[in-house]
Amino acid sequence: MNVEYMKIKRSGFVPLALGSGILAAAFPVLNMAVRPERYLNLPGSPVEILMQANWSLMAMLNVLLVVAGACLLYHIEYADNGMQKMESLPVREGSLFFGKNILMALMVLAAFVIEAASLWFCAWHWFGTGAGVRMEFRGQMVLGELGKSMGYSFLVTLPCVAVSLLLSQVCRKMWVSLGIGVICVFTATMLPTDRFLPSLFPYAMPFQVLPGTEPEQAARYLWAAAVEAALAGAAAFIMIRVRRWFA
Amino acid sequence: MRGVRFMTLLGVEFRKIKRSRLLLLFFAASVILWIPSVLNAELNFTMQAEGISPENSFFIQGFMGMAWFMYPAGMVVGTVLISQTERTNRGMLKMLSLPVGRAWLCLAKFVVLVVLSAAQVLMMTGMYYISAAAAGRLQGYSFLLPPLFVAGEAGLLFCASLPMLAVFWMLSVAVRTPIFSVGLGLASIVPSVFAINTKVWFAYPMCYPFFVITAEYGKLAENLDTAQVDLVPWIPVAVVITGVCLLVACLCFGQGERRE
Repeated sequence: MNVEYMKIKRSGFVPLALGSGILAAAFPVLNMAVRPERYLNLPGSPVEILMQANWSLMAMLNVLLVVAGACLLYHIEYADNGMQKMESLPVREGSLFFGKNILMALMVLAAFVIEAASLWFCAWHWFGTGAGVRMEFRGQMVLGELGKSMGYSFLVTLPCVAVSLLLSQVCRKMWVSLGIGVICVFTATMLPTDRFLPSLFPYAMPFQVLPGTEPEQAARYLWAAAVEAALAGAAAFIMIRVRRWFA
Repeated sequence: MRGVRFMTLLGVEFRKIKRSRLLLLFFAASVILWIPSVLNAELNFTMQAEGISPENSFFIQGFMGMAWFMYPAGMVVGTVLISQTERTNRGMLKMLSLPVGRAWLCLAKFVVLVVLSAAQVLMMTGMYYISAAAAGRLQGYSFLLPPLFVAGEAGLLFCASLPMLAVFWMLSVAVRTPIFSVGLGLASIVPSVFAINTKVWFAYPMCYPFFVITAEYGKLAENLDTAQVDLVPWIPVAVVITGVCLLVACLCFGQGERRE
């Protein structure tokens, strides 16, 4: 894990994650600043309105971050035969995949924290003390709802992380994994989000929002996310074995 | 003399990406693009409210889906391919040691990118005809449009995307860290949804393809008003952006390798 962090230190992954987080965070602020009248009169809690209005674009940026990041994390291994050197170390290759997963999840988490802060700011500024208050603003409640909602979105993003890393592990050439990732994102944007089975596509899952979803449905999504992530992990381990046999 | 050499250079560049299977990727993208259109073809009959005919709707919806995300993103992948094939085993240093002008090499690679984008547009158009025929068979209604019209729209999309390609190319040349050029390219696609709704859309090359197709949609649908293309600020701005980007790309090309 520590080694993984040292490897990405100069690759620009950290600034990329923060940058994408900031860019995604700018969306709701801009959106609310440009056309507040469109959203202030909608029914529902501030968090629900904000998530419904902005999450699809923010999720898109998150997924793109995951895809680009996954390409990078394995590109630094394959570029100058770093993988062979890693293989000669007394480290299990599976733990490499696992470490990269954790690292990526942490980076995505950092982006999510930035985005959550921006959403909270929007809720506070436009739905709270600002003019035209439609409901009394209860900071504690908004914070709780926002935390729950973002936590849920983070959990359903994890299968996307695992699958992207699996893809980049399988494809040695960076642009192949990037291309497949881009096609998957594109497919995800074409799939309907309101039907259960198509939205289980790992790249479509991050577009799910908690507000407006029934608890049972949300629980089902969480289970599906766990299963998908576990399957991706298992596939990665099998791939490592297969490569050993044919190496 | 120059011309001959440039053609040779181009041939070499094409040979380098011959086995890249990027075209397969574009093919997969266009198949994925049109499958939902064929399956949901009956939705096009409910678009009469906008005053658009079903066959036009079928066509323009698919092209909008492409122009918004897959086409620009596919081009970002193309730039990665072109720059990465040179990075492995220091191919770039070998190219730079040849008696070829750096700027010409840079331009040759850009032409490859342009041809790749043309290939993507062509595949998308070809796939349109196949899927339109299939949808027509399913629905018992002819979705086919005259080839001249379709070719015009595809050509418009292609021409409008040239400044975008120049920007992506400059990013991939000037930003040596691959992750930044990819990240910047992909991230720049997402705001184009906002950009096409602003008055200064012509300042943002990444939204040109999407903008022209949306404008076409407005033209085809009688009851729908979309912003139309104003040639006067657009064309000069686009030409300047393309020129500056290509100039910067040519100046930066190979600089990093020289320093090493």
